[in-house]
Amino acid sequence: MSTKPNIRELLAESACEHQQPQKKACNLPTPGATTGGCAFEGAQIALFPFADAAHLVHGPITCVGASWETRATLSSWPGRDLTRMGFTTDIGLNDVIFSGEQKLQDAINYIATRYRPQAIFVYATCVTALIGDDIGLICRRATAVHGIPCVPVHAPGLVGSKNLGSRIAGEEVLRHLIGTAEPEQTPPFAINLIGEYNVTGDMWQYSHLLEELGIHVLSTLSGDGRIAAIRAAHRARLNVIVCAKSLISQTRKMQQRYGIPYISLSFYGKRDTSAGLVAIAAALGDEDLLARTRSLVAREEAALEEKLTPYRERFAGKKAVLNTGGNKSWSIAAALQDLGIEVVATAVGKSTEDDRDKAREYLGPHGVLMTKPAQQQAQIIDETGAHLLLAGGRSLYTAIKKGIAFIDVNQEKKKSYGAYSGLLNLAEDVANALDSPVFELVGRRAPWEK
Amino acid sequence: MGEVTSRSKPLQVNPFKLSQPLGATLAFLGVDGCMPLMHGGQGCTSFTKVYFTRHFGEPIAIQTTAISDAVAVLDGGDYSIIEAVRNITAKVKPCLIGLHTTGLPETKGDDLRGVAAQVDFPLVWVNTPDYEGGLESGWALATTALIAQLTESADLIIGEKMVLLPHVSMTPIEVERLRLFIESFGFTVVVMPDLSTSLDGHLGQKQAALSSGGIRVDDISALANANWVMSVGASMKSCAAQLQRKNPALRSLHFSHLHGLQATDALVTALLAASGQARPADSVRRWRARLQDTLLDSHFLLGQTRFLVAAEADQLAGVCAAIGEAGGKVTVALAPTPSPVLAEIKADRVLVGDLEDAEDLATDYDLIVGGGHCEALAHRLGKGFVLRGFPSWEQMGNQLKTDCLYEGGAYFLCEMANEIARMKHHGE
Repeated sequence: MSTKPNIRELLAESACEHQQPQKKACNLPTPGATTGGCAFEGAQIALFPFADAAHLVHGPITCVGASWETRATLSSWPGRDLTRMGFTTDIGLNDVIFSGEQKLQDAINYIATRYRPQAIFVYATCVTALIGDDIGLICRRATAVHGIPCVPVHAPGLVGSKNLGSRIAGEEVLRHLIGTAEPEQTPPFAINLIGEYNVTGDMWQYSHLLEELGIHVLSTLSGDGRIAAIRAAHRARLNVIVCAKSLISQTRKMQQRYGIPYISLSFYGKRDTSAGLVAIAAALGDEDLLARTRSLVAREEAALEEKLTPYRERFAGKKAVLNTGGNKSWSIAAALQDLGIEVVATAVGKSTEDDRDKAREYLGPHGVLMTKPAQQQAQIIDETGAHLLLAGGRSLYTAIKKGIAFIDVNQEKKKSYGAYSGLLNLAEDVANALDSPVFELVGRRAPWEK
Repeated sequence: MGEVTSRSKPLQVNPFKLSQPLGATLAFLGVDGCMPLMHGGQGCTSFTKVYFTRHFGEPIAIQTTAISDAVAVLDGGDYSIIEAVRNITAKVKPCLIGLHTTGLPETKGDDLRGVAAQVDFPLVWVNTPDYEGGLESGWALATTALIAQLTESADLIIGEKMVLLPHVSMTPIEVERLRLFIESFGFTVVVMPDLSTSLDGHLGQKQAALSSGGIRVDDISALANANWVMSVGASMKSCAAQLQRKNPALRSLHFSHLHGLQATDALVTALLAASGQARPADSVRRWRARLQDTLLDSHFLLGQTRFLVAAEADQLAGVCAAIGEAGGKVTVALAPTPSPVLAEIKADRVLVGDLEDAEDLATDYDLIVGGGHCEALAHRLGKGFVLRGFPSWEQMGNQLKTDCLYEGGAYFLCEMANEIARMKHHGE
């Protein structure tokens, strides 16, 4: 058996809805017309939230030098938070010529001795993949020497997109970690949260509700994650994929190998959060749990409605245009609708078929699905009289020119918009934007302009 | 001045080193209407774009040749570069494409010069593998390439024209202030590369398809007819030498940095000599007096404080000098990459290393001056922190700050003194 994941097989994911057999593999980037991250970044996104593991990037400085500490994936791990650290072999010209294997081995020893992590993930990058450093072999040896899992992650940037990298990361976790330890206990309602990275504490917006229901999060991949927990993930009753289609290969294989069913859901907005909680309870197949979940959902929704009342009055009749990508094209739209704001258009240029369908479902027949938002959004604002534009920074000028409020949704956000309580954060941000004098003020003509 | 050392270890832990291609990207963003094109995997470009977007708070124009696995094996760069240029120019019309490499195409040995010769579009190319050098060398190599490939040789000079070559860590406003300062002596100044009009955080009608602001390509062509070239930072010396090759009559001025009283005095002395003026403008003299006053006001707090400074070498030299003038004690001066300027720095220890090295010396300092990655360090160790250099993700207004010349020097001393006062207040 090959020690490396099979890329072609991972690309042809049968459980992936948008996968058509005749379709060209979706990992071929166009030179000069490509945006978005590489496979290494995808692997990093999927695994870096494990704060009790060290993440060693075997490559030149760009890969981690420009990327560590960029994602606010919070952790409650009481030890040194290794997700806020950067480790790299920082290979030089000599290593490129004479191999970087010895350096890698020494680096692993250094980390294992000094930081005593629960595991070490070792990431291949373009240059070290090209010069053929055998990270698989070095990791096998290091695992034996140090007695902790050293996991090779074969997702160098050149193999494809961010999405593929996340899949490869899931595959490596499946090969090297899951099933290598047993849990201390297996409560009846044990689940794994897959693809929840706890960015800005998103997971903590709803995890207390699961706890209250007696649903035990056995492990996560990988928000606030623990290596010991993911090693025992094969004992869960259910895999819950949170907003991450890229890890569907992993959950499908876990179903085949361990008989664990999976469901896919989102915790953005009131309706999705409620539906998500009920779906988990239903999938666990316990009538009493389902009944308790329904009453908890009713209680939470009622409490939220009360807190949202002043905002709803403020937002009555307000219209928004949303220009973002991926699942945000519908998840943020849903959250805005929950606040009583009409979403008149959303961008779907970079969305999958599945995301487009969802966006259509949420916006209804009259909502505009923008395929070229940069050209379309100004006109739509004029036609609909929208009051708010939610987009990336490059659209700021459109909002200023139209004299309407603007929220930057593509910047790394600082607070969570997840679940019920996150909706209040979103409401506060929207209210502040609508009330702010700055958008009109900076649109003012200068004294020397006629 | 002591020996420059570095710890021998097989890795970087908490690196603040940045790569050569990032430096080259920034240099191309200082050219008006330019499209920086990074030749490598798509991730290098994506990371670079996000890094600078957050640092400058501005949309960043950049494209990638997006080398994939099959292309990496079969292509010598011809396909991906020519195809990238075709796809870029189908959508936008840049004045220039700034082609720079990463480690991937350098490892497989792409012939950049050969491919560039096949491209029928204004393009400057530069080899900047990320397994060598760092941010400063990438910026300097791209600047040198722009001069070598675009600047026309000249044998005439315009008497009052001066070319200014700032190092990569000078903020957009520092560059603008320096240009105005030099102009107050009667010179006309052309800055190369010029971030002061492109990444200075101005509201413009841009969609960031291309860089907006910066030196114009025409002005790069005509650089060599200047009377003077001024390089700031050891990393920029080679760029000045490249320009002098285009016109042997070109006279050069060099400053390691322009932080603090003595460095600014040296600059003024040189500008007075070059311009033939007897005295600088009134405002210059007023600001010198204000800096003198600030030195006296701040020396008490700064003099009882031990500093760790972590920065790119050219900025490190300046910041350490400014602190030293006020009586502050730099116990650790930390650079990400080697540089000849490190030997000039007055500090107990001058190190080439990472932030783990800084952490290991935690008992040696009270206040940290450094980039955004130092913030977690300062927080964990309970040290004071003044943010300077790359990255600046959590604080606003990085591009509006100015530490150089008499005026900036006064602001900088005040900011550090206030941080020390805040530390002392919280410590008691």
